[in-house]
Amino acid sequence: MTETPALMVEAVGVRKHFAGVEVLKGVDLKVGRGEVACLIGPSGSGKSTFLRCINHLEKHDAGELLVDGQLVGYELRNGKLYERNDKQICAERARIGMVFQRFNLFQHLTVLENITIGQVRVLRVREDAARARARELLERVGLAGRDGYYPAQLSGGQQQRVAIARALAMDPKLMLFDEPTSALDPELVGEVLDVMRDLARSGMTMIVVTHEMGFAREVANTVYFLDAGVIEEWGDPREVLTHPTSPRLQNFLSKVL
Amino acid sequence: MSTDGDGSVKVVPVRHVGRWVGVAVALVVVAMIVHTLLSRLPTGQKACQGAGATRVCHAVTEWRFSWDIVFRYFTTSEILHGLLITLELTVIAMAVGIVLGMVLAVMRLSPNRVLSGSAWTYTWFFRGTPVLVQLLVWYNIAILYPRVSLGIPFAPVSFLTLHTSTTFTALEAACIALGLNEAAYMSEIARAGLLSVDEGQVEAATSIGMVRRQTLRYVIMPQAMRVIIPPTGNEVISMLKTSSLASVISVIELLGAATNIYSANYEIMPLLLTASLWYLVVTTVLSIGQFYLERYFARGALRTPPPTPLQRMGRDVAGILAKFPSRRVVSGVVER
Repeated sequence: MTETPALMVEAVGVRKHFAGVEVLKGVDLKVGRGEVACLIGPSGSGKSTFLRCINHLEKHDAGELLVDGQLVGYELRNGKLYERNDKQICAERARIGMVFQRFNLFQHLTVLENITIGQVRVLRVREDAARARARELLERVGLAGRDGYYPAQLSGGQQQRVAIARALAMDPKLMLFDEPTSALDPELVGEVLDVMRDLARSGMTMIVVTHEMGFAREVANTVYFLDAGVIEEWGDPREVLTHPTSPRLQNFLSKVL
Repeated sequence: MSTDGDGSVKVVPVRHVGRWVGVAVALVVVAMIVHTLLSRLPTGQKACQGAGATRVCHAVTEWRFSWDIVFRYFTTSEILHGLLITLELTVIAMAVGIVLGMVLAVMRLSPNRVLSGSAWTYTWFFRGTPVLVQLLVWYNIAILYPRVSLGIPFAPVSFLTLHTSTTFTALEAACIALGLNEAAYMSEIARAGLLSVDEGQVEAATSIGMVRRQTLRYVIMPQAMRVIIPPTGNEVISMLKTSSLASVISVIELLGAATNIYSANYEIMPLLLTASLWYLVVTTVLSIGQFYLERYFARGALRTPPPTPLQRMGRDVAGILAKFPSRRVVSGVVER
């Protein structure tokens, strides 16, 4: 039995290109267990791509990416990197929750079924146990009693909270949020951020791509400013967001704040 | 502004003149059709009653459309047996078509060029040649392959050998020909359905750890069905009638049974009508089934499901009844 690594996510020089365009030009990042990291930066800076590399929705081209001490998508044996097969990658991914900008709830399933399907089909949990867990999570995100609704019958904020519950049902060790409030009406942003704040307080390790600077300042342990595929500046949010040193971050903050 | 005693204002609805003209024309056409369907023709014979001075004669007439003959044959065993064969052909050919079509659609969307290329070639060939030709080819396949053996290509090894002329009946040839042809069309329908599902659904399924097969089965397919069902219903109805082509290769299905009978008694029109009426009956049943199937797979996509025909009829009646007391506007609110 190896000791549990202190870092939940460790990225060293992660690179990624799409059709000749380099989107990530060597990203370094360290997120400890139970910590919250916020990724900020202009659109097209590679924030979402980096997030998607962490759960292998995108394959990174170079660099080292470790989640919970394990290489993402590869296995190191006898000095060679072996690509993991689909089944292994899916098993890894099941323990990394992801929340999308556009919610992506399963439209043909009820709220309850959205939360049970992963437990039943992937984790092989019994149907009734899965349902009980789903109800528990719905209560936690403030949506008790909405079991039978279809996603189309809910507001954006409610859908996003169901999406968070769906991710939590997989019992994740890490949660990734890809601009979770960007598609919401302003008055609905608060209810989603409240749920995320509670989640952070409960000790969940989280990486959040966001434009909500107030949330970053309040909840994050570390803020990373990503620009043009590199981390321009990082550190304690109160420090980074109030006294930015790089001119790019100063320029960015002057636009969003 | 003139007001009634209670202070409300009478609303005068827009008069749709063009619409009323259209309704009148439609009613005339309907009346003409009903009239001709129910018309009778003189046979040239006379029927007389009584004798001598009290003898009364009148011309004998018969239905123009020979309804008596149509319905006399409607439930004869030959026609019913033909109907059974038609249904059998439709069900088997569609089953082959749907299953193979789904497989072809998934192959077509595969990132592997060999798989997508083979699926494309299949569709190209079976959609590009007339189904009647395909029926004749399968019926006469024994000319091309007197024996079918299962073995390894280019190697003198065979595991199983069948004689086609003895193993293939005309009905089986028809099932295979219609099924394989249908698969080409179904694969395009299924492909459109699979492509209609938002990429985000796949990402969400992937992110909770589903493998590709699970994503396809639990997330993509159920949502693709909403797009796949309506044109598939169309295909079933189309197949019901296309199956009549099998009469060319001596399969005695509904039309085959009708032609068999009229070639013996020369009642050509009545028997064609008998067959047509049966096709209409089955099509009606299929359409009703399709409606409920569509309604089932639309769940989640619409906030409220569409009304069933009965519910809609109820609403129409209620709507008409509500029109009778004239609508009045009271301080901007329409009251009924």
